[in-house]
Amino acid sequence: MTRTLRQIALLVAKDLRIEARTRQTLGLVTVLGILIVVVLGLGLGAQQGGVGHRATAVLWVAYLFAGVLCFEKTMSVERHDGALAGLLVAPVDRGTIYAAKLISNLVMMLAVALVVTPAGVVFFGFDLSAAPGQFALVIGLSMLGFAAVGTLFAALVSSSRLAGGLLALVVFPLTLPVVIASTQIMLGIFRDGQDLGGMALGVLGAFDVVFLAASWVMFEWVLEP
Amino acid sequence: MNRRAVLQLAYWVVTAASFVGAALLVAFATPNERTMGVVQKIFYLHLPAAINTFLACGLVFIASAGYLWQRKTWWDDLAAASAKVAVLLCSIVLLTGMIWGRSAWGTWWTWSPRLTFSLVLWLLYVVYLMVRASIESEQRRAVVSAVYGIVAFLDVPLVYLSAKLLEDIHPSSITLDGSMQLALAAWFLPVTLAAGGLIAARYALNRAQRQRSGSAAPEPRGFPVRLVGDAI
Repeated sequence: MTRTLRQIALLVAKDLRIEARTRQTLGLVTVLGILIVVVLGLGLGAQQGGVGHRATAVLWVAYLFAGVLCFEKTMSVERHDGALAGLLVAPVDRGTIYAAKLISNLVMMLAVALVVTPAGVVFFGFDLSAAPGQFALVIGLSMLGFAAVGTLFAALVSSSRLAGGLLALVVFPLTLPVVIASTQIMLGIFRDGQDLGGMALGVLGAFDVVFLAASWVMFEWVLEP
Repeated sequence: MNRRAVLQLAYWVVTAASFVGAALLVAFATPNERTMGVVQKIFYLHLPAAINTFLACGLVFIASAGYLWQRKTWWDDLAAASAKVAVLLCSIVLLTGMIWGRSAWGTWWTWSPRLTFSLVLWLLYVVYLMVRASIESEQRRAVVSAVYGIVAFLDVPLVYLSAKLLEDIHPSSITLDGSMQLALAAWFLPVTLAAGGLIAARYALNRAQRQRSGSAAPEPRGFPVRLVGDAI
């Protein structure tokens, strides 16, 4: 067990170190996220006010695009210089590799969210202070499910020529249940002043469990150098 | 004609005949619904198509799992054929549903749970076809689409549950009189026969194409074996 945890820590540290030294992804993805918020803010007429609760949907668009770019990046670093082949012949379980990639992706998405969310809050005049804890919980659960699916498919399609567009095409429709559930919860909390819906939270939890388990099982079959 | 062609012809004749029979039944033996009039009759096609959509999606799932398990190309061809028919049927469900909605609710589209669910289902399987079309390597395409076919099917109940969070105006149960029930039952036969026949025909075409391109030969073996093979 400790061995597995140490392997995960090593792999995650490797990914984050690469990102810290090259700074290829985070800057680009964060600016893209802010751009999305600005474009949609202008498009939805945020300057006239009264659209605060729409910020959650706008933030989702930013998270989705940013997430796909992160998934693609963490997998594509393995494509250079046969790194993936090296990783596969190393005595590391494939499930461990999946867990490490998932954690790397979650850390990167968290970093992006920490910049993009305040941007959305400010630009849309969104009153996050009504329920910041619930917002964090819902977004956290949603991101986990999104990243679970995204990490699996990033490993699958990163070898094809169309990697970028294809990954978004595949991951977006699969993630729709999460988007529907979390935006409905947010509307309930921030527009209608309700409490956290148990049913919607259940859908998010079920999505996480189903796709973490399915991805963990299938990752073994799909990883090829 | 050989025996196979005769059987195929007989199958499609029976399918066409049952379509005609079901259409006659709806035209002459069922009453017009009081408020919606003749548009209500679209329902006899709508429900069988919806149920056959689920069956086709289920077949995609089974064939995808079969491919990942055995890595035989015919599983992949079956999954591709089923997905194509699933998209066709789901398109019929969406279009008939929209015509119904226009008549019953006065709007072509509303984000009610079932409409949203059908739309997302349609998107999921359209993307499946797009994924297949955009990967060139046959083996890679088979693996990617098999994984996608499994994950998409696991996604279906979650889409259903999440769509239930939206507000509903779709009828959840409908009371039908005797002749309407008979007509509905009569429509299941041709729609199911047509769906099965289309999947079989598409599957045969996929097999023929694969054999023509000469890749129905044994699959390359998995990664570790290949690596050892390369080393030798």
